[in-house]
Amino acid sequence: MFAQNSFIMKWITRERPKIDRIACPWLIKNFVDANAVFIYVLKEQVFDKAKELDAIPYDIAGAEYTHEGERCTFDYIIKKHNLRDAALLQIAEIVRGADTDSFHLAPQAAGLWAISAGLSYNYKDDHEMLEIGMKLYDALYSWAKYVQQEKHIWNPVL
Amino acid sequence: MKWITRERPKIDRIACPWLIKKFVDKDAEFIYVPFNEVTAKAKELNAIPFDVPDVELTHYNEQCTFDAIINKYKIDDAAVNIMAVIVRGADTDRHDIGAESSGLWAISAGLAHNNTNDQELLAKGMMIYDALYSWAKYHYKEKHTQNPFEKLLLEVYHTYIKQEKTTKKIPAWVKELKEIMQDQIDTAISLKEISKDLDINAAYLSREFSKYFDNLTFGEYIRKQRIEKAIELLNNADYTLTEIAYLTGFSDQSHFTRIFKKHTGKNPSAFKKSLHKK
Repeated sequence: MFAQNSFIMKWITRERPKIDRIACPWLIKNFVDANAVFIYVLKEQVFDKAKELDAIPYDIAGAEYTHEGERCTFDYIIKKHNLRDAALLQIAEIVRGADTDSFHLAPQAAGLWAISAGLSYNYKDDHEMLEIGMKLYDALYSWAKYVQQEKHIWNPVL
Repeated sequence: MKWITRERPKIDRIACPWLIKKFVDKDAEFIYVPFNEVTAKAKELNAIPFDVPDVELTHYNEQCTFDAIINKYKIDDAAVNIMAVIVRGADTDRHDIGAESSGLWAISAGLAHNNTNDQELLAKGMMIYDALYSWAKYHYKEKHTQNPFEKLLLEVYHTYIKQEKTTKKIPAWVKELKEIMQDQIDTAISLKEISKDLDINAAYLSREFSKYFDNLTFGEYIRKQRIEKAIELLNNADYTLTEIAYLTGFSDQSHFTRIFKKHTGKNPSAFKKSLHKK
């Protein structure tokens, strides 16, 4: 009765992702649904395609999963799914800062924005961008969880 | 040509290979070995050692190896110069000098943690520096400052940054900044915008600010200045309250009235009456 793919959650949003539309897929895949599939379409097609493909629209005005006041879609997913991981909450601040042009929220926001804007310039294929972005957020997460206390000074002899 | 350095790279030993490949030697090959093998292997493989002590391409004073390569090969590229500050800040733990340094450090440290193979790490790092380069070339300072106050503040802060290296006393910019803020109190000023244009980490800027301005935050200080200016203007019967609100940088009269009352305990109109009774 059910085709196998009806068990796979699909998420759909606007094309040309930079911050939130890369960070959210990373968050969903790692903390909500490891099998999730991500679709990027033209802005004006998001809701039509969402119905057609039975996908969850996100990071677009009018969707449940979107910005709320000063908080971005990444924050909403954390709230909705009750995620409590401390490293994740720290990343949320950085993502919000980079995504909402509020670099004062976290010292790392300006750098995340610069690298993301540059990646988006270099990779015009949304799925290629997503693949690289996944590694970027894996790195941020490892930094937040394991290495952030480390200071980097030039001391080759150790 | 072969280039050799210490293993387990994070910032400089990834950024330099990127710079060398893009501007110096596009066929360059990079070798990472344990620290104590760099000199011997360099000779054996006829490779150029970098980012280790006692070689030509290494740290000098506050400059890192990325800077040394720019100097030696006379790389003259505006985007690379923007990157150099960010790389230097991330590599020498001086995140205050480049607004993007903290983010670059976090991402690089995390990548190094996730990739224990140096060549794999280098491949990913190349994408990061390609991205930074595109950002510096095409996105940098997309927003230009429209506000003369911000331009002045920017100059003052740059002067301050230079001074900071030589003196730890109260810097001259404090006095200058005070005067500017008094002059420009009627314009919309935001720390967020300023920090972006200054290219100074916003968190750092706001921390430094209160050190020199009565332990007040930027917002508190500006508000205090505006109220003081308003009181001064209220002394002059020629101004209406609407004009005063405008002249002191409040968005409208009701906002002015609310903030004024919060600070002085009186409405501006009541305050004005009490002044002119005397």
